[in-house]
Amino acid sequence: MTDFCERLNEWKGNRLMPMIISKSGWLGLAFFSSFLLMAALSPVLAPYDPWYRFEPYLPPDELHLLGTNDLGQDILSELIFGSRASVIVGFGAALMSTAIGTAAGLVSGYFRGMADEIIMGITDIFLMIPQIPLIIVLAAFLRPSLWLVALLMGCLWWTSTARVVRSKALQIRETGYVQANRSLGFSSLHIMLSDVLPNITHVVMPKFLLSIASAMIAEASISFLGLGDPTMKSWGMMINFAFSRGGFLNGLWWWYMAPGLCITLFVLSVVLLGSMLEERESVSLRLQ
Amino acid sequence: MRRSLYLLASLLLLCMLMLSTASMGAEEATGEVLKIGSPNVIKSASILGDSNMGVFAHLSNPTLMKMAADGTIKGLTAGSSEVSDDGKTWKFSIKDNLYWSDGEKLTPVDVQFTFNYLAENYPAAGWMKNTVDNISIQEDGTLVFSLNKPYSRLNLEFATYPILAKHIWESIDDPMEYTNEGENVGFGPFYIASTDLGAGVIYFKKNPYWKGTAPKFDSIEIHTFANMDVLSLALEKGDVDAYYKYAGTYPYSSIDKLKETGNFEFVEKDNIGLIFLGMNLMKEPMSDLSFRKAISYAINYSEILKLDALGYGKVPNSGFVPPSMMNFKETAKLEYNLTQAKGILDGAGYKDTNGNGILEGKDGKEIKLTFLTRTDYQRPTELMVDYLKAVGIDSEIKNVDSSTWIKQKDAGEYDLTITRSTPWGMLMHANWGTGYFDSRRTGEGVLHVLDDAKFHQLCDDILAATSEDQLKDYAYEVQDYYAENLPAIPLYWNLVETPYNKAFQGWYSDPLYGIFNVDSFLSVEKTQ
Amino acid sequence: MSLTGRKAARYFIAIFLIITFNFAIPRSMPGDPLTNLLGEDVILSDSSVQELRSKMGLDKPLWQQYIEYWQSILRLDLGYSFHLHKPVSILLQDRMKWTLLLAGPALILGSALGAILGARAGWRSGSRREKVHTGILLAVYCTPPYFLSLISLYLFSFQLGLFPLKGLYSTGSAADIAHHLLLPAVMMTLFTLSRNYMIMRGSVLQEKSSLYAAFARAKGLYDEQILFRHIFRNALLPIITLLALDFGFILSGALFIEIVFSMNGMGSLIYDALLSRDYPVLQGSFLIITIMVVSANLLADLLYSRLDPRVKWE
Repeated sequence: MTDFCERLNEWKGNRLMPMIISKSGWLGLAFFSSFLLMAALSPVLAPYDPWYRFEPYLPPDELHLLGTNDLGQDILSELIFGSRASVIVGFGAALMSTAIGTAAGLVSGYFRGMADEIIMGITDIFLMIPQIPLIIVLAAFLRPSLWLVALLMGCLWWTSTARVVRSKALQIRETGYVQANRSLGFSSLHIMLSDVLPNITHVVMPKFLLSIASAMIAEASISFLGLGDPTMKSWGMMINFAFSRGGFLNGLWWWYMAPGLCITLFVLSVVLLGSMLEERESVSLRLQ
Repeated sequence: MRRSLYLLASLLLLCMLMLSTASMGAEEATGEVLKIGSPNVIKSASILGDSNMGVFAHLSNPTLMKMAADGTIKGLTAGSSEVSDDGKTWKFSIKDNLYWSDGEKLTPVDVQFTFNYLAENYPAAGWMKNTVDNISIQEDGTLVFSLNKPYSRLNLEFATYPILAKHIWESIDDPMEYTNEGENVGFGPFYIASTDLGAGVIYFKKNPYWKGTAPKFDSIEIHTFANMDVLSLALEKGDVDAYYKYAGTYPYSSIDKLKETGNFEFVEKDNIGLIFLGMNLMKEPMSDLSFRKAISYAINYSEILKLDALGYGKVPNSGFVPPSMMNFKETAKLEYNLTQAKGILDGAGYKDTNGNGILEGKDGKEIKLTFLTRTDYQRPTELMVDYLKAVGIDSEIKNVDSSTWIKQKDAGEYDLTITRSTPWGMLMHANWGTGYFDSRRTGEGVLHVLDDAKFHQLCDDILAATSEDQLKDYAYEVQDYYAENLPAIPLYWNLVETPYNKAFQGWYSDPLYGIFNVDSFLSVEKTQ
Repeated sequence: MSLTGRKAARYFIAIFLIITFNFAIPRSMPGDPLTNLLGEDVILSDSSVQELRSKMGLDKPLWQQYIEYWQSILRLDLGYSFHLHKPVSILLQDRMKWTLLLAGPALILGSALGAILGARAGWRSGSRREKVHTGILLAVYCTPPYFLSLISLYLFSFQLGLFPLKGLYSTGSAADIAHHLLLPAVMMTLFTLSRNYMIMRGSVLQEKSSLYAAFARAKGLYDEQILFRHIFRNALLPIITLLALDFGFILSGALFIEIVFSMNGMGSLIYDALLSRDYPVLQGSFLIITIMVVSANLLADLLYSRLDPRVKWE
């Protein structure tokens, strides 16, 4: 394994800059890709149709590796199909909120002045909009499908990313190289993209990853409150039903542990990937 | 730095352990205490303003009449009741041995005051203003209700209103907003000593002036839990001795765990409420009787019973009303027969012309129905979607919270919904579930979709009935009507399971309030 | 416009819009306070119900309700809850004190510990020990709060019998309250800690490779000194941001923890009010939260320039 890594690193080392991919980075990538594969290939990987009903409350055996739930549906199949919901909600919300938040924070922190006031004012307002009533409204007038929920989360959460990015942008804007570039006459957009943005990645990256985590957990929480999307299997809904239909009290730990672990592992994989990127960055910076 | 962090952590841990041991064994023993755990959380200490508090207050402020275990109405605060032949005059004699916990005697004046007061100030008793002309007291203390029309169910209605003390409540202008977290004067075997909303407990103490059968306990505590799993854990652990949920059963999936411990027994009764499929009769195709009949054959009743009620119940009859209700009639049992269902649909003109598995309605468009679903009923709704798909009806689930459900159902913005009737719900209006369907009444959980003159007339006849025989005939008519017309399709009749610690015996359960009634608290005792 | 003028204008406009949203959002949900109030046996067309309706002010046109809403805010009158039968201000006081008691220490401790531990992790990133810590804390963060709380309740209160199963208190003494609140407080601390840890770690990683750090190293300072004397202050900015945000939301409480531990805090107050459409409670709670969030953000803004001299309060 180490040999392989070294070999790969050597090959990559002949490229733009040395890329050291640590073992944990590979682990993260492995988990991450397997979850993505799981989501993409669910019909192929799952042993049964997750909606088909067998005997309820079966413990794990060779026919049902994770047993069956309260309606008799195979839990393993539910788990595999459930990855789709988490991918959609997690990435959708995180991408949306990070994109909006970074853009807003950059503009706000770099330009200061009027733009800053307006954007920060908008964040103040958005911060106050509570999530659950909007979901109730959504559920009442539309269908609370996962896409809409992800969109909603993304539109509401960009504010904290914006604030954090802004605080970093405020710092960076005063640094020597940025001042230099400004005096040289580079356009603001160019400076923002080439100077400020790369130096913000260290703050944005964890925010992005944590947003994925928050989004998945928020989906689980919304499902627990019963406002989730009933037409799609999701890990959050699985945990919800596991608790409300007697899984917890009767010790059917495979029913709630499996989706809980999946959420944890998925996020862990994303973070490991993130840390791999961080190391690469810090190494490259050190060598400059 | 690291070392000091670890030191801090271990100090914290030590504190935690010390605290946990310090507070154990701080219980005060003040005589025999009976603790009941309930998921019916009290939001405010208002007997009339909080419905859960109102149920618990029946112990300190018993009702005029009660429903006995067999479903008949008997006197509780009243000794006896009688109605005139024309049904317009009701007489109630009041028991002579009842005393308030402050020493005052309960007199017919209190009862007269209660009903006038409630009629004026309590929305749920507002109907009295249109029905009761006058309440008077005869020389012998009998209370006389003069009605402006025959009303057969007066004594039934009076099984739900707590009797209030005139000398306490006459100075309270707005009883719905009146809260009292301290002592509430009552005349039952126990009175409310205090209500602790933060801890979630209602403390009842023995009424020192109670002259009836002496209860075996000195105090009763109602512990409310926001989380059902925690309540189950508390029951198992012995933190509470019994379980009570108004109009509800102990969750079926948690029963086995209690049984395994060997320390619990169950009061098992047939529910008079039930869970059913409601249909919006104002819209196509639900307005078509053949369509409804077809659906009734498409439901796999034994599977729903197995998956949703874990077998605690039975497959219902088309007559809707469960056997535990008075004047039950054995109508045709509901049957699961896919071929029959498909045949009826085909015969009624619903065909699948483009071969995609979904039927088209009479207007030529594919049938796609919307289930308006409350969170509690997600699972049975999932099953129903499946059953409908098997006969070619496409449907989708709209998952909403309770208030949204009420609003949209009242506006008729749905096709199907799964909901339930409570015991009182079955009894209200003209009894036998009519309150849910009569389109002239709109309350929170009712569907009010039946706009049929024949049905309305039946309801009015029941309300104006003047004899038990008349009522029986009408009851049979109602059930026949349900069986023929299927305004709603019952999904299963269930059992109400109430667990209690084996050490406590002598529970008495009535169909309306379960084990929470005065007789129960007079007879229950600790035998081990 | 002067700086303070601009800032003041921004805050005022924001507050105006927020208060308007506070009015609009509860009313955009289907239903009103009367929907879930009276039970299934009350006919909605009854006269007593109509009376109740006008008492609640629901029969007036929307614009009139809006004006009255502003009037009551300016009078500092938060209204009356017909669901809980108490003036809203009393309800808020009652619930707020419990939420503050529970979440306050948790927030402070969690942020402090998270900042410190996260800083060390960022500094020593790549080391085996750091990886283990990060892994564990991330796992904590990833677990749905309901899940972790219920399991800890099961373990510590049920199996081991160390803590009570529910409620804010049994007897009301200080030790009793502490006993009841300890487990939920620990849970909250854990969640705050894990979040702050991750952010701080990332922030320190960034600062670590900066010039001033290298300079400090060249001066001959030890690791700890570089970390806590120089880097910490600058890396702290995102944490301050988060703390300001959290402090405002402390009052919406930890809903799931309150449900699991059966506690009556702000979280369950707001959630119940949402479900029952109790407009006065919703408006009152959101107003208080607004005030706290806006003032916390203002404070954070002021702190930025003090902490990092590179940020000029220009």
